[in-house]
Amino acid sequence: MASSDWLDVNGWSESFSSWSMDSVHDALPSDDIDLQMTIPSTWAWPEPITIGPIFNMQEGFASMQPGLEAFMHATIMCTVVFTVLMLTMLAIPYIERKFIGRLMDRLGATTTLRSLWVGESGVTAGEWWKQLPFGMGTPIGWTVNLLNSIWGNSHELETISRVNNRSYHGYWFLLPGFFQAFADFLKFASKEHIVPKNADKVVFEVAPVIIISTTVLVFAFIPFGPHIYAANSELSLIFMMAIFGVAPLGVFFAGWASNNKYALIGGMRSAAQLTAYEIPLLITVLGVAVLSGSFNIIEIVDFQMGQDEGNVWNIFLLPLGAALFLITMIAEVERIPFDMPEAEAELVEGWWTEYGGIRWGLMFAAEYMRSYAACILFALFFLGGWEAPFQHTLSGLPTVGGTFEAVFAATPGLVWLLIKAWLMFAVFVWIRASLHRVRTDQILEFGWRWLLPLSLVNLVVAIILRLEFWTGQPWELWVPAALSLAALALFVILAIDEDEEALQAQRRPYSTQAVVKASPGSHRD
Amino acid sequence: MAEMWISMGPQHPMTHGLWTLKVKVDGETVVDTEPDLGFIHRGVEKICEARDFTQITTYCDRLCYASANTWSHSYIYATEDLLEVEVPERAEYIRLVAIELQRIASHLMWLGAYGPDTGNLSIMVWCLREREMMMDLLQELGGSRLHYNFPRVGGVKRDLPHGFPQRARAKVNLFLNRIQEYEALFDESTVFLVRTQGVGYAKPEEMVNHGVTGPNLRAGGVNYDVRWAHPYGVYSELDWEPPVERSSIKGADCYDRYRVRVEEMRQSANMVLQALDKMPGGADTYHEPGDPMILAKAPSRAPEGTSGAHHFEDSRGESMFYIVGGGESRGKHPYRVSIRSPMFITIPYAAKCMIGYKVADIPAIMGSFDPCIGETDR
Repeated sequence: MASSDWLDVNGWSESFSSWSMDSVHDALPSDDIDLQMTIPSTWAWPEPITIGPIFNMQEGFASMQPGLEAFMHATIMCTVVFTVLMLTMLAIPYIERKFIGRLMDRLGATTTLRSLWVGESGVTAGEWWKQLPFGMGTPIGWTVNLLNSIWGNSHELETISRVNNRSYHGYWFLLPGFFQAFADFLKFASKEHIVPKNADKVVFEVAPVIIISTTVLVFAFIPFGPHIYAANSELSLIFMMAIFGVAPLGVFFAGWASNNKYALIGGMRSAAQLTAYEIPLLITVLGVAVLSGSFNIIEIVDFQMGQDEGNVWNIFLLPLGAALFLITMIAEVERIPFDMPEAEAELVEGWWTEYGGIRWGLMFAAEYMRSYAACILFALFFLGGWEAPFQHTLSGLPTVGGTFEAVFAATPGLVWLLIKAWLMFAVFVWIRASLHRVRTDQILEFGWRWLLPLSLVNLVVAIILRLEFWTGQPWELWVPAALSLAALALFVILAIDEDEEALQAQRRPYSTQAVVKASPGSHRD
Repeated sequence: MAEMWISMGPQHPMTHGLWTLKVKVDGETVVDTEPDLGFIHRGVEKICEARDFTQITTYCDRLCYASANTWSHSYIYATEDLLEVEVPERAEYIRLVAIELQRIASHLMWLGAYGPDTGNLSIMVWCLREREMMMDLLQELGGSRLHYNFPRVGGVKRDLPHGFPQRARAKVNLFLNRIQEYEALFDESTVFLVRTQGVGYAKPEEMVNHGVTGPNLRAGGVNYDVRWAHPYGVYSELDWEPPVERSSIKGADCYDRYRVRVEEMRQSANMVLQALDKMPGGADTYHEPGDPMILAKAPSRAPEGTSGAHHFEDSRGESMFYIVGGGESRGKHPYRVSIRSPMFITIPYAAKCMIGYKVADIPAIMGSFDPCIGETDR
């Protein structure tokens, strides 16, 4: 059963198209229009000659109507999807700014973490929840008080006084930073377009077009909800991944055409990196497709949320796949730690170096668009797409189940999908703030020696799950539980990576991590 | 790919200053390097010949923008050797506090720059945050935030201001906790370890032959710290040890150099706390400027033929001033001032260390040597 919600944009567009075309059809004259003219016979032509057509406008229109309807429907849906994309993507740079601002805050990581809920002293962030209308903020107040009682943000702590140094008040502190994206755009748009003298000018101009257009094209196949998509072909997954892989070609073009050594090395790195992560990425996605039994993204989501289908999010069935997808996608969108093509420490800006003005701005926007696409895809493939967390469980509760059901029915799937995608982007930002950049040879080694075999393992797991454990019924609870617990246990075990032997021997192995601090005086023994 | 020369600099994110590193690369591998220095040569040595002994301090502050206080002190010690001045003990303790706070600030600047060198921006903001605390303290002593002009021939400009010991203790203790945050971000990150371990080996014997000193040399296992080997001031009266890393047979890598500096910040912080406790007359008492407790009388002229020199442990290695007195004909000016800059000697060697590594290792290696071009070009 296909998932559905009330925000049936596709259906509305379809019926609007057919209604408007029907109206046009009806408005046209139904009578035959006779434009025939008969020239009476003369001595030159014994028979009277008839020229000109007799036609029926309605009939003629009816033959074109399906095509026109489809065109109108597609135009509307493309516009809707693009509008949704552009409007919701404004949140992406905002999240990046706000979250990285907190992680890198001058007040310190611990302090800012606390400042997320701090505010009982009523000075700064204050009791901002009390300003929300209709008492909507009361639960926030409870949460804050609970957190304060657990971690103790008392007035006397230095934390509070430092946090209170902030100058913004109330929930209006959320607004600054949001409109920065518009200001940036204006700046880029008003800058001069400079092409290096010795650049390959045609390729130099074509490369941004390739990068930006393919990035936008990715969204043609990404559904924002059960009824919000521009195209829904049977093999949308394959086409989308293929389009996703075109942009690095544009990057290589840009690196070569700039006639700049930094740009050239950046382009080369991009090409080298491409081989290392693209194959594991595709195999990981293939695992998802195998498990869900479809190459169609909407059907993959339906498989995760349908009560008559899997009814379990894929992340609990393929935790390894989720981790691989996250890693390879970070490499695909070239964010830290895999942003070697634009490593600003040694390559200035890598393949971007020679671009400026609106081309740079649009390519930067395309970069964020790709990150956004990666986040949405993670939500679609692994986090159940537009299904609310515990939707069926909460709806099935005794007493309160009805309320939950009403809430879920009133909330369009778009909302849940966007929340998941934005949270995923926060994870991207978190990774960026806490990791360093790896080297090209290291990502190559990592890609070939770890990502590729692991993605094959993931594929095998997916095949076994599909063939041996899948009965056409929702998953038995123990299957996802066992897989998730196994993954969690593995994660914990692998996270303990201190080399006891090396620590004992006061020796630092150079291949793996183990830290012997330079203890004063240790040089003397 | 064919070999090509890339000119990294004078404006390049890797340089940390104004200089050029010409790199010959074969694809991603560095084949040859050639450092090109001298872009900001200001002729400080020559300028000093036309200045009074007291005026030169200001110029020496400007030798290094990240570590001004250590350089002016380096000059002052050499001048005191030339003029044969006995410095009051309390002044020595105050100087030690100022120098070690500056050393922490300088190393924080380095650590903050080393994060972006290896791709992490968070650490830069964190380090500059703590550097700000150190600069606040130094501002209380010297009056300005970057170039303090704090030492005087024979003592210091002023005593510790009221409340300084309390504020210094609080901030240094907070800083000692914050070092653990840095270590959590660096040492426990596998990505950082694979970027720095086994990269940029510098052999201790080669470093000694080249004259590399300071944390870079101690990372190679050579226990040479001027404060420890030839103690000046009151370093011998404090309980501390120079951090020396045990390097591998191949020499010191970037990680060793990183560890030594982080450990040195700890040692410096502890030294500041100890000095505040041990200060003669108590850290809380205040003496007016010019009081014999903090400033000894010093002659303003040096007789002809006399010379003074002092080895000094700067944040980046052993700095040294060699000053020749001018006699009556030169008035209050010295006849000659010669400056030994540790980074002028280290940078060519660091450029040599990069050969054979990848292009991405260039900032990791160069950053780990902590270049400062102000003192290099003088």
